[in-house]
Amino acid sequence: MTRTSHTVSFTLNGEKKTFSTRPDEKLLTLLRREGYRGTKYGCGQGTCGACTVLVDGKATYACLYYSMQAEGRKVRTIESAGTFDKPGEFQKELIAAGAVQCGYCIPGMVMSATALMESEKDFSDEIVKEYMDGNLCRCTGYEKIWVALRRVLDRQEAAPAKKPATGKKTSSKGAKK
Amino acid sequence: MNRHEKAKNFKQVNHSVTKIDALQLALGKDSYVADFVPNDALIIKMLWSPHAHARIKKMDVSKAEKMPGVKAVLWYGNVPRIVHCTAGQGFPEPSPYDTFMFDRKVRFVGDRVAAVAAETEEQALAALEVIKVEYELLKPVFSIDEAMAPGAPVIHDEPEAHVPIPIHYEPKKNLVAQVGCEAGSFEKGMKDADFTFDETFEAPYAQHCPIEPYVSMAQIASSGRIVITTSTQVPFHCRRIVAQTLGIPVQRIRVIKPRIGGGFGCKQEILLDDVTAMFALRTGRSVLWQFTREETFRTGRTRHPFRVRLRAGVKKDGTISAIGLDCINNTGAYGGHGLTVVSCSGGKTLPLYHCDNIHFDGKSYYTNLPVGGAYRGFGATQAFFAIESVMDQMAEAIGMDPKAFRQLNHIRENEGSPIFAALGEGREGTPMTVGSNALGECIVQGAEAIGWDKRSDWRGKTGRFRRGIGMACLMQGSSIPDIDMGAAAIKINEDGSFNLTVGATDLGTGSDTVLAQIAAEELETATDKMIVYSSDTDLTPFDVGAYASSTTYLSGEAVRKAAADAKRQILATGAEMLGLPVDQVHCEDAMVRNADGSKKVSYSDIANYSLYQKNQYQIIGTASHITKKSPPPFAAHYAEIEVDTWTGFIRVLKYVSTIDCGTAVNPTLCEGQTEGGTLNGISYALTEQYLFQNGRMMNASFADYHIYSMRDRPPLQTILVPSYEDTGPFGAKSVSEICINGPAPVIGNAIYNATGARINEFPFTPEKVLAAIQALEKKK
Amino acid sequence: MKLSEFIHPGSLAEARKALRGLGPKGLPLAGGTALHFMQSKTPVTAVDLTGLGLSYIRRKGGFFSIGAATPISDIQRYRSPRWAMHEICRRISTHQIRNVSTIGGNICRVFPWADLPVVLLAMNARMVIYSGKESEMGADEFFSSQPARLFRGGDLLTSVKIPVLKAQHGFGSVKAARNAAAFSLVTIAALLELDGTTIKSARVAAGSAIPFPKRLHEVEAALVGREAVTDVFKKAAAAGGTAAKWNVREGMSADYMRQLAEVSLLDALERAAEFARGRVN
Repeated sequence: MTRTSHTVSFTLNGEKKTFSTRPDEKLLTLLRREGYRGTKYGCGQGTCGACTVLVDGKATYACLYYSMQAEGRKVRTIESAGTFDKPGEFQKELIAAGAVQCGYCIPGMVMSATALMESEKDFSDEIVKEYMDGNLCRCTGYEKIWVALRRVLDRQEAAPAKKPATGKKTSSKGAKK
Repeated sequence: MNRHEKAKNFKQVNHSVTKIDALQLALGKDSYVADFVPNDALIIKMLWSPHAHARIKKMDVSKAEKMPGVKAVLWYGNVPRIVHCTAGQGFPEPSPYDTFMFDRKVRFVGDRVAAVAAETEEQALAALEVIKVEYELLKPVFSIDEAMAPGAPVIHDEPEAHVPIPIHYEPKKNLVAQVGCEAGSFEKGMKDADFTFDETFEAPYAQHCPIEPYVSMAQIASSGRIVITTSTQVPFHCRRIVAQTLGIPVQRIRVIKPRIGGGFGCKQEILLDDVTAMFALRTGRSVLWQFTREETFRTGRTRHPFRVRLRAGVKKDGTISAIGLDCINNTGAYGGHGLTVVSCSGGKTLPLYHCDNIHFDGKSYYTNLPVGGAYRGFGATQAFFAIESVMDQMAEAIGMDPKAFRQLNHIRENEGSPIFAALGEGREGTPMTVGSNALGECIVQGAEAIGWDKRSDWRGKTGRFRRGIGMACLMQGSSIPDIDMGAAAIKINEDGSFNLTVGATDLGTGSDTVLAQIAAEELETATDKMIVYSSDTDLTPFDVGAYASSTTYLSGEAVRKAAADAKRQILATGAEMLGLPVDQVHCEDAMVRNADGSKKVSYSDIANYSLYQKNQYQIIGTASHITKKSPPPFAAHYAEIEVDTWTGFIRVLKYVSTIDCGTAVNPTLCEGQTEGGTLNGISYALTEQYLFQNGRMMNASFADYHIYSMRDRPPLQTILVPSYEDTGPFGAKSVSEICINGPAPVIGNAIYNATGARINEFPFTPEKVLAAIQALEKKK
Repeated sequence: MKLSEFIHPGSLAEARKALRGLGPKGLPLAGGTALHFMQSKTPVTAVDLTGLGLSYIRRKGGFFSIGAATPISDIQRYRSPRWAMHEICRRISTHQIRNVSTIGGNICRVFPWADLPVVLLAMNARMVIYSGKESEMGADEFFSSQPARLFRGGDLLTSVKIPVLKAQHGFGSVKAARNAAAFSLVTIAALLELDGTTIKSARVAAGSAIPFPKRLHEVEAALVGREAVTDVFKKAAAAGGTAAKWNVREGMSADYMRQLAEVSLLDALERAAEFARGRVN
């Protein structure tokens, strides 16, 4: 990376950071260069979702986002989602459900699901699928990812002080009823 | 007790233990090739051929070499010209040597022309733009028919092209391979039939689409050796082929396979590593080559497109009197896998049904199109589309329910097939009888899950949206008998944990976990006591790698034998510590104990004793395994679909995959394999497609090449039906490939059941479906 | 697209001034998704429009006013009586793209397969363009050819005004695509104004398998003054087959696209009629 005078400042996983960059550097390249390598390159075309991060809480393809678009915003990566000692709730369910095969898509899936859980109260199947339609997986057929996600969402919905969902839902057993 | 109930007593095997790398991957920890690349690595970019068939008259790289940041340029003028095969197969390969690192000829759009390594990607791309190439365009070959035609352009006219083993290869005729066999008399069988069929089917191109693209990094170690960290299914073949292509000893190369972001067969190919290794040698630097998604589609390996002619005869009583399978496939511009894929199209399908009169003929041809490689299902996928479509047609002709017709004819336990002996991979096969077979139960359970009883004839269906139910039966193999070899080593540590090192290659399937379970079961300890390492050519024993559905069955048995070897040593030392004869002790719960448990010693104590205290030695077990059989897993698949008869759009309402994989070592992972392969098969049947213009693949992105997202996925139901394969580790056989063979014939049969339209070519695009429905209506 | 500079203007006037000064060397950026796929040898300066307060949806009088930098996902999530824009927005690309890609970006440089222009044509939307002061342009004129022509001098789209549907209005849109996130094969949008059961006026537009999104006047003519019933819709849909030049898409023939368009037209008209009857919202 050649040094230039361009910089970008944003909050990354809760910490204010300033990075040197170039106007056409993608956020994905910047993040990986700076050690946030949980965000993956899968297509570079804004289609597979392996590079999904949250920008101001919204799931965003880091490969289709110029680093300087992030100026002043809040960026979150998979590194904020959990640790060995304390994996996130969805991460735990993914592991328990056997949803992690090659695992390359999983960080992106986790970030999209995080956006879903933080933004919505209604976790009907239709809304869940809309939030997850930008993350491709070729290993699992999505079956176990779906089961894991449904388990977390069903728990969230069952938690008190939450509005009951209105849409149609399948159980966490997926199709296996 | 049914044999398969033995598996119920296992403590580690047949349990869904947590996949051992799942947490690391879910947290996004450094795991894959690109995660280990230093920031100062050189970036490689390739100039790809824009032409399908051309000779390079002149090339000038001098300007590129002087561009800012450029450290080296590779082209045919400055690399060794060593003919080889990129297919990561055993040695010598049953495939033509028809490839050079760089050549004066380009044979498909996406073939290598010249490569640049520069400090940044932008600099490498800029340098590619100033490479001057003058091409002499040659007439391209874009179809099997053009390839076979007399006087067709010769794609491999280089004198070096040859096969390293004595098999039929005629590059002057574009013929990559030919194989055939006959059992009984096909002609007589056709004469004896009450109804005969002669149908031709087409199975198309497809790409594996692992979410991690092809990626390889090469570095020069302090010792001067080349270290290649690569996303591969075949680390040992990679080492051998890179050594061969560069003309250097195997000893100089170390190949490390970290976690792999999916492969499905496409990473059974040495497509990048010769170039990364060469650049590392030339520059002394770390070099990274990562394919873009576009490159993965255009240059990456694909499924071989097949044309399958199926002739068959059936008697009124349901006897299949003759099957004739003629498979011709297009290998694209290079011929790796050309023989084996066409052998498998017969060998992994024809034994499924009883038939005394079988004819098989397989041919592979070069074309100037993208190159076929190993892809889950490998030939069987393409042939089963034809076979299972005609099975339905035969059943209808004799007025039998398609399920009952299959139940009548499918192969049983302890039965053989002449095909097993006749068709191997590059040589004759191995005679075999089927030892485990729960297909009958698969058919019954699947039928119940889909509601087969409610299936009704298409002739009574009206309205715009019509529903149909289809089915298919399937088989595959487990490893390549007498050819594949896997090896493992296992050693004990002070705390009773074990290092299990295997050459077997976990490419995201969970095989490390499965192998750990097998080792733990044999050693009477817990799976989480296993530290699994796969694979590293410097550190782990040899294994052919992850292909041909071999890891659980073949490498798994190697692991079991290695664990048994370690167990013998543990028992000997334990007995010594307890002061008992070895025949009075046994292993249980990570301890060596006597029969009543009054005397026992833990594995940890045994390890400490053997490492530090007395008669010290390393308890280490090693074993290799080759197989004499390739026991088929069996499956019955069912789907219910809805056809929009006005637009031809198809919606899959429900898909049921049953699978007999012997003992499911890890049931959750077996389900995961089946669900993933099934969904891949569904989109292959319906939406995946290579669109060409002058040989150039035009839809090289996930925006234009449609694989399914969570939003597209229909409800999938997986049913594991147990059997017990005596020759496999704890009763196991393979699971991963078979499931992708189902959706094309199942959906094809369901379209027929919904509408009466039979379509012999997929993907079942809306246009094809609508045209078939309209053609049928015109006939009425 | 190579970027040499990236600027965050503080106001609309500043943004316009910057773009005027840059000429062909400047490009407005909202979501920025399209920029990644644009080819140019010479680097350009990106002018980020996302900080100008142009992301909103408000109901003002007879219109819904949508800020030009409003992401598609916000339009998808917005709910209000007689609001119909979410139907097509939930069918556009993927969640991550919908979060970033904006209505302005989608319609100021129209790709042939874009869905929003089709809907805005049928809805008779009005585009508000800033050229130092704001002025309005109807959808017919705006989409008469590539709208990028309107913005070469640095002018900027600030909002899109969509008429609030009245009780007698029915709206339906249909997108035929190979899977959920795929680009459209055929997109159809239809707005019917009913007088009792009679169609008083109709605006029907198509996109994707034709060179550029456009209204299908032959279809509209076959509707107006007739009953809102299936037979009439069928005849009108059939007129759609000849009302445009249908193109090959994804390896499927032009003739198939025509047939698909005719069925999609029929489906869109049925949906619109149902909407008017109050069964769909």
